[in-house]
Amino acid sequence: MRKHILILGALALALSYKASAQSFLENSQVNGSFQTDAQYYMLDEGIGITDLNGKKLGINGFGKVNYTNGNFSAGIRFEAFLPEMNGFRSELNGVGLANFFATYDNGFVGITVGDVYDQFGSGLVFRSYEEWSLGMDNALRGARIVLRPTQGVTLKAVYGRQRYYWAPYLEKDFAADDYRGIVRGVDGEWDLNQSIPALGDSKFRMSIGGSFVSKKQYDQSLFYYIPENVGAAAGRINLGYGNWAFSTEYAYKINDPSAINNFIYKEGRALLSSLSYSQKGFGAVLQVKRVDNMSFKSMYTGKQNDLDINFIPPINYTHTHSLPSMYTYSTQPNGEMAAQLQINYTIPKGTALGGRYGTKLAFNMSQVNDIVRDSIMDNGELVINKPGSLGYASRFFAISDHRFFRDINFEIDKKISPNWHVTAQYINLYYDIETIEGHVGAPVVKANIGFMDVTYKINKKQSIRLELQGLWENEVHKGYEYEESEKKDFQKRGDWAAALIEYTITPHWSFSIADKWNYGNPVEEYRDHYFTGTITYIKDATRVMLSAGRQSEGVVCVGGVCRTVPASSGVTLTVSTSF
Amino acid sequence: MKKLFSIFAMAALMLASAGCDKIDINNTHKPYTPIGGNKTVLIKDFTGARCVNCPAAAETAHELQHRLGEDRIFILSVHAGGLAQPVGQFPDFLTEEGTAWYNDNASNPLFSVDHVALTDGNTLYVEQIDTPVADALAEPQTFDITVENTYDESSRKLDVKSDVKAVADYEGQLYVSYCLVEDSIVGWQITPEGLNREYVFRNVFRGTVNGYEGSLFKDGQALANDAKTFNCSMTLDSIYNPNQCYVLGYVFEKTSGKILQSVMEKIK
Repeated sequence: MRKHILILGALALALSYKASAQSFLENSQVNGSFQTDAQYYMLDEGIGITDLNGKKLGINGFGKVNYTNGNFSAGIRFEAFLPEMNGFRSELNGVGLANFFATYDNGFVGITVGDVYDQFGSGLVFRSYEEWSLGMDNALRGARIVLRPTQGVTLKAVYGRQRYYWAPYLEKDFAADDYRGIVRGVDGEWDLNQSIPALGDSKFRMSIGGSFVSKKQYDQSLFYYIPENVGAAAGRINLGYGNWAFSTEYAYKINDPSAINNFIYKEGRALLSSLSYSQKGFGAVLQVKRVDNMSFKSMYTGKQNDLDINFIPPINYTHTHSLPSMYTYSTQPNGEMAAQLQINYTIPKGTALGGRYGTKLAFNMSQVNDIVRDSIMDNGELVINKPGSLGYASRFFAISDHRFFRDINFEIDKKISPNWHVTAQYINLYYDIETIEGHVGAPVVKANIGFMDVTYKINKKQSIRLELQGLWENEVHKGYEYEESEKKDFQKRGDWAAALIEYTITPHWSFSIADKWNYGNPVEEYRDHYFTGTITYIKDATRVMLSAGRQSEGVVCVGGVCRTVPASSGVTLTVSTSF
Repeated sequence: MKKLFSIFAMAALMLASAGCDKIDINNTHKPYTPIGGNKTVLIKDFTGARCVNCPAAAETAHELQHRLGEDRIFILSVHAGGLAQPVGQFPDFLTEEGTAWYNDNASNPLFSVDHVALTDGNTLYVEQIDTPVADALAEPQTFDITVENTYDESSRKLDVKSDVKAVADYEGQLYVSYCLVEDSIVGWQITPEGLNREYVFRNVFRGTVNGYEGSLFKDGQALANDAKTFNCSMTLDSIYNPNQCYVLGYVFEKTSGKILQSVMEKIK
């Protein structure tokens, strides 16, 4: 009898385990994505590539898998750079598990351990993110807690150490002889419309928020007393009424001497504001930004984009066509004053100018200048930006005459008939290449750029697209007198023409050939053609792209963060899929 | 709910109070801490007259030299790279040896501490050199090197006599190099405030006296008390000011590039 009871008990347990396992499996969701970018490099004396420096192949690849089951989720990302493609930091060279996390979130509390990506407000004091095309990943390895104690209120806390390529997550990276600090931060946001029932359906919208982030770093300097705890705080408010919206965030950082700011002890400040209006067929956005000494890194000796704790959003138009995107603005964390106005208007259907489908017009203007820096007294001496001093004085609303960047552009987007679609844009550009790309002494790029993008739908499955672009510099053309030793600074300068023709058979195939021609370069040997041919195959979520040809020197920027890309010639294969 | 808010607010307040260190602006510099021993250190400052950040970096390196010992730290300003190209009236301080040491790096200013070339692992920004300099100063001395210069005004001929002696056993391909250095040259330099037409260039590398490869001291191993005397000479270019010229001599291990001991002497 006892034996039977035991058998029955075991059976019941097994059945209940099976039932719960079945339920567990039914609730499970797995998704992920894989991507491999490979470039095979070839010598090409025509564009000055006479030595591959022993590198014929560059491969960047990742695979990530996320698992979700109810309130629980977890994921890993594996990366390989064997070796890294040209234009990516050599520190990426390697292979391994780059990222992992586990999260439990029941709506009231969410806890993540492992690699954390998050952003407080607009990112002025904290943003950890990954951008594959830049080779950038500043994930915070540690923990995050999110509390939602009541409707409309979100409280967050993060704690950890940032990813620095493949360096171990230690206090001291012995290989690089650098120290990385710990980042800890808290953020709170209150959405009044969600919290207060009376405001639930109101035209008036309001939310407020505040953040505090601090890094704990080790003072290893023989010269200076480096603050071991550096804090930054930000407050923000978002207001809306009907079609109007206004948002602003102000950030402040205490003394943070670093390699980026030349070891000055001045506090940092940043302001980002946006006012927008929208209604059917019309939208306008005005943004302003002031940044003063706001580089915030978890390693005070860090350079370039290394170990950024914060993110300073760009307020410039993002161009996607090849010639206008050659000169993309890169955010200057040591100081900039910027403004942008964007207006979109759709001429209604059925009017003389709107035609049968309406006509979309867009105007954008953005400009960035330096801030004004005045000398200060330091030990009885008038100094500016002297290491160990307060650096300089800067009036908050004063704008320097030194213009970094200006982009004025106008775009028309028009569907002419069921088969024809045209987009055209004119851009007037001012680009201080000396400040933005470090070409010391190089003349400013002042250019007019235009493109026309025409798509003709042959039938339901096939279409053909033609892109014609031109870039004309106002001062640097053929015949511009340059010093022989400055020659290198004139790569990609002068006038350009570009054309692309693309034939698409939906849903699988696309074929294109393109050429960019730097026909107006002042240096004769740089008047090169950059031919490329591309075949793309798409099946469901899988995309295979094979292209061959030349790539011109330039910069790749995402969100104002940039990396330089050297000229290259060869074959590129990209395979990506997700599930 | 209130408890939760209170806990969160307290945590935020604690973080805010513990998370900020304000440094007294009148006391940002650390006091000089002497480092014992007789080892000398050579900092190579790879710079350029069109490099806007180079003057501040050079100043920082000189401040380190001033703090840690002017008799034990030597700085050699090597003008190399794109920003050192002599455009217009910017000075031409380029040398074949300096360009070779620079090793096609992409930017200035860059530094090396006790190393010949900027290869992986040897390239430093100025704010990274303090610890390597302090570490190098604390190393035991392995060689002794002296330089004695004789300069003839009429022919502008410089004769260098140098005694090198191992003070400890050391394995490697051991070479000696002698460099001509000119100090206090006035010329054009880009600075953050704009063009400075009267910038004073310090310790400018003018070239090697005994060639890029240097002269062999011992191939394989030097034993303590092994010694050798070297003689080399050169004729000073007419634009060099002999009153501001020095000879920098150093012993180095060729495979690793590591500089083991340096000395700098005025030519007159």
